[in-house]
Amino acid sequence: MSLKDYLITDEPYYHATGREVAHFEAAYADRMPIMLKGPTGCGKTRFVEHMAWRLNKPLVSVACHEDMTASDLVGRYLLDADGTVWHDGPLTLAVRHGAICYLDEIVEARQDTTVVIHSLTDDRRMLPLEKKNEVLKAHPDFQMVISYNPGYQSVLKDLKESTKQRFGAVDFGYPALDVEARIIAHESGVDEKIAATLVKLAEKSRNLKGHGLDEGASTRMLIHVGQLINRGIPLAEACDIALVLPITDDHDIRKALTSAIAACT
Amino acid sequence: MKLGRGSDDARMLADSGQGVFPESWAGPWQAACKRIAEAGYGAAVYDAYRYNAPKIAELVGPQLAIGLADRVSLIAIKASCRAAEILPAVAARAAVRLNRDRGEYAAWLQLMERLAYLAPESTSMVLERMDQLLSRLDVSRLEAWLLAGVRSSGSDAQRRRAFFSFDDPEAARWLDHESGSLVFSDISDQLKAYMVALWGQPVPLRESNSITTGQGRRRAGFGPGIAFIPSTFPGFIGAQAEALFQAVVAHIGAHLQYSGNRFPVAELKPLQVALISLIEDARVEQLAMRDMPGLHRLWTPFHTARAAGAVTAPSLMARLSRALIDPAFKDDNPWVCKAKAMFYRRQQEWENPLISREIGGLIGNDLGQMRIQFNARTYVSEPAYRDDNLGLWDFGDQEQAETLETELLFDAVDIEKQEEDDAASPDREREEQLETEEADANRVSFSVEDEGGIPVARYPEYDYLTGRSRPEWTTLVEYAPPPGKASMIEQILETQADMVSRLQTLIRSARVSRPQKFYRQPEGEFLDLNASIEAMISRRVGEPPDTRVFGRTERRGRDLSVQVLLDISESTSDRVVGSNARILDLERQATALLAHAMAGLDDPFAIAAFCSNRREQVRYYRLKDFDKPYNSKAMANLAGLQSGYSTRLGAAMRHAAEALKRQQTHRRLLLVVTDGEPSDIDVTDSQYLVEDARHVVHLLAMEGIDVFCVGLDSGGDSYLTRIFGRRNVVQIDRLERLPEKLPMLYFRLTA
Repeated sequence: MSLKDYLITDEPYYHATGREVAHFEAAYADRMPIMLKGPTGCGKTRFVEHMAWRLNKPLVSVACHEDMTASDLVGRYLLDADGTVWHDGPLTLAVRHGAICYLDEIVEARQDTTVVIHSLTDDRRMLPLEKKNEVLKAHPDFQMVISYNPGYQSVLKDLKESTKQRFGAVDFGYPALDVEARIIAHESGVDEKIAATLVKLAEKSRNLKGHGLDEGASTRMLIHVGQLINRGIPLAEACDIALVLPITDDHDIRKALTSAIAACT
Repeated sequence: MKLGRGSDDARMLADSGQGVFPESWAGPWQAACKRIAEAGYGAAVYDAYRYNAPKIAELVGPQLAIGLADRVSLIAIKASCRAAEILPAVAARAAVRLNRDRGEYAAWLQLMERLAYLAPESTSMVLERMDQLLSRLDVSRLEAWLLAGVRSSGSDAQRRRAFFSFDDPEAARWLDHESGSLVFSDISDQLKAYMVALWGQPVPLRESNSITTGQGRRRAGFGPGIAFIPSTFPGFIGAQAEALFQAVVAHIGAHLQYSGNRFPVAELKPLQVALISLIEDARVEQLAMRDMPGLHRLWTPFHTARAAGAVTAPSLMARLSRALIDPAFKDDNPWVCKAKAMFYRRQQEWENPLISREIGGLIGNDLGQMRIQFNARTYVSEPAYRDDNLGLWDFGDQEQAETLETELLFDAVDIEKQEEDDAASPDREREEQLETEEADANRVSFSVEDEGGIPVARYPEYDYLTGRSRPEWTTLVEYAPPPGKASMIEQILETQADMVSRLQTLIRSARVSRPQKFYRQPEGEFLDLNASIEAMISRRVGEPPDTRVFGRTERRGRDLSVQVLLDISESTSDRVVGSNARILDLERQATALLAHAMAGLDDPFAIAAFCSNRREQVRYYRLKDFDKPYNSKAMANLAGLQSGYSTRLGAAMRHAAEALKRQQTHRRLLLVVTDGEPSDIDVTDSQYLVEDARHVVHLLAMEGIDVFCVGLDSGGDSYLTRIFGRRNVVQIDRLERLPEKLPMLYFRLTA
C-alpha cells in the first residue's frame, strides 16, 4: 500500500517568518525528529504541511487526545469472518511507507502512550510490533514531527524529559506585523490596509495576555475575521463574531476588547 | 401647654379631618391626635402632625395617616423632638414622591423608624434631606444608602453625623453609587483591561478621593505609573458615562506613553502651565490617534466648545482644545487660529515633548498681551475626560511629588504659586503653609504607625440587610511578617516527629485529582476493547487468554493546592480551654505540622495570616507563597506571628482566594484556621460579618474553590457552621486531634 492519498499536491501557503524552512530542511536531511512550539493558531500545522509538500513526502497527521492508547498509534488485530487481521495504525503506516508523521498536541496524549515513539526517535529508528511479532525498520523517508503548546496545559501535562530531549525544536511566535498582515491578506482576501488594521487590533488583544486572556487573538482568528469582512460583514461585527466572542466569556474583558478594537479603526 | 388645648383641639380636629376621614375613622383619628397632644413633645410636633396627617390620608389612605402617630411618638422618644416635628411634613412629601404607593410608603416609614434606632442623632438631618434623597433613590436604595452610613461609622455617633450631614465625602460617593450613576468601581475591571489592551502596560487605576476641583467638577489625574480616576462624573449617564471613563483612561494612557519626563515648573506662571498642559494634551492625543485612529471618535464628542460667546480665558482655551483635535471645527478667533496654525506647522516634531513647552509659552504671551484675566484657582481643564495635568509637572520636590497621595500637595503648591503671583496678604499664605505642614505631619505619623504596610487591594463586603455587596468597602493592607526564630518550628517538628509521619501518610493516601482511566484491570466498570480483542485472539489461537479485560476510572495521586489562612486576632492570645497553651501556639503548631507534611509531599501550598483594624485596614501577612520553598524564612515568619486586632474574615478570605485562583491544580482548597467569631471594632451588628463571610464561601464555591475551616474554639460551632456549612468545619481543641480530623477534610474533597 502506498501513501498516495497522504501526498500534498498543491502548495500550502506559508510565509516564513525566519529561517525555519532552511532549519527544517537541514533537520530532515538527517531525519532528525522535530518539535514545533508556539501558541495556538500561529501556523504550526500549516508549516508542517508546507514542508511535506516542499519535500514531496506524504504527511500522516494524528490529533492526540487523552484516551489515545499505544494501539491507536501502532495498530491492532481486528476480527473478521475469516479470523484475525492486523491493521496498521497511523504511526506504523508512516514508518512502513516513509512519511512524515505529525503528532499534533502531543501533551494531550498520556505519557505511557507517547513512549512508543522513543525507539523511532533515536538512532534505532525502528518500531517493535510485539503483538505481530515484527520489528519494523523505519523507511528512509520517515520523520517524526510533534507540536507542543507549552502555555495553557496544566503543570501535570508536560512531556517527559526523555521524550523532550529526542527532538530538535522550532519556536513559532506571531509573525512580525507586516508579515502577519500579508498572511491575512493572502488567506482571507481582504486588502492590505484592512489586514494591517486587523493585525493592530490583534496586538491589543495580545496585550491582554495574562491580564484577563490566556492567549491573544491568533493569526487564524484574524484570517476568520478577514473572511467575514470579505463576505460583506462590517469590520466591527466581524471582530465580534470571530474574535471577541470566541476568545473570552468575561463580560468586562469583552467590553474592553471591543472598545480597544473600536479605537484601532 | 398640652393640657390647655384639649377641647379646642377636638373641634379643630373635626374640621381638619372633615371630608378626608370617613365617619368610621373619625374615632381613631381623634384618639391619635389626643395621644400626641398629651405626650408632651411640644406644640410644634402636634401641629405638624395635625396639619399633615389629612394630606397623607388623602394620598395613601386614612389608616396609614393615623398610623403615622405611633411613628411620630417613637421618633420623638428615640431620636429627637426636632425629628418628630419634621417627620409628618416629610412623610406627606414622601407619599407624593413615592407615587402614592401604599406599600412603598409603609416601607419608607418603617425605614425611618429603623433609622431612629440605628442613628438617633442623625435622624433629623436625614429627614431634612429626604426630598433630595428620594429624588435620586427608591426606598430599597435609600435603605442601602442609610445602612452604608451606619456601617461605615460603626458605633461612632460623631462619624455617623459627619456622614449624614454630607461632611464626609463618602456620603456623596455612596449616594452616587446607590442612585445608579455609573461609578468607577462598577467598571474598573473593564477599564483596567482597556488600558492594558490599548497601551500594553498594566497601569494601576485608583479611585481618587472624591476630589472636586473648582465648581464641583472632577478630573482624573496621574503620577508615575499610576492613574487616579474620579468615582463618578456627575451629569453623564449610561453609555455616555462609560465612554467618558474610557476616554479618560485612553487619554491618561497617551500621557504615560508619550509625555516623557515631567516639565519643571520653575518660574512659569499658572497661565503658562495651563496652556503648555493644553498643548501637551493635544500633542499626545495626536500621536495616539496616529496609531489608533478610532480614538478620534471616542474623544471628539466631549469637545463641545462653540466658536462664539464671551472671550474669557477658559472659553478660549476650551475652543483651542477643540480646534486642535477636531479639524471640522471652525473658529475665527485670531488667537485660536494662530495657535492652531503654530501647532500644525510643527507636525513633524510632534514626537518631541519640548514643542508643547515652546508653543504653550508663546501663545501664553499672546494671551497675556490680550489682557485676558486667568484665574488658576477656578480653572479646570476641559473637556471632562482630560486629566488635571499635575502629573506633567515637576514642582521641584521630587520625593513629595512621587507620593501616591499627590493631590493634596499639588493643591497646596498651586495655591502657593498663585498667592505669589497675586501678591495676596501674607496671612493667607501662612495659613496655607501651615495646612500643608499639618498634612505632612499627618502623613509621617501615619506611615510610622503603618510599619510599612502596603495597601494592595480593595474588596467589596456583603450586607445581608440589603442583600447586596458594597464595592471597595474594605482595604487590604499587606505587611511584611515580623520574622521569629525558625528553630522554634524545628523544635515543634522534633517533638512531634511521629505526628508528622502520620500526617504525611494520611495526606499521601488522599486521592484528590482528575479521574484517570486504567486499562487491563481484572475488574472494572467497562470492557477494555483492546484487551478483549486480544483475549479473543488468544482463544482462537489456542493460548490461554489474559482475563484482565476490564478498565476503570479512578483517582490516583493528588492534584491539589492548599492556601492556609490563619486568624491571628487578639483573641488568639487566650489560653485554650483546659490547657496551658495559647490558641496562637496551637495554630502555629498545627500549621507547622501540616506545612511540613505538605512540603515533604511536594503539594503546592501557601500560608498567610490576617487580622483587621476597621474596614480601612485589613492586615494580611504572607508567610509563604505558592512559588516559594518552605524554608527557614517561611518558618521564621510562622514563628514570628503575634496576636492583635480583630477578625474581618470575609475580606481576608477574598484576598487569600486571589492567590489560589491562579493555581492550576485540579482542586483548590482554602483552609481557614480561626478561633472566634468574625468581628471588628467598627461593626456593632454581630451577624453582619458572619453573613459576609458566608457570602464569600458561596462565591468561592462557584469559582471552584473549596473552603474548609478548622475551628479552635469549641463554642464556635453555630456561627462557623453558618459560615462554612456543617460538613466543612472541624473543631480541634488539642493538637493530638489534628490527625483524627484531617482525613475528614480530604474525604470531603474526594467525595
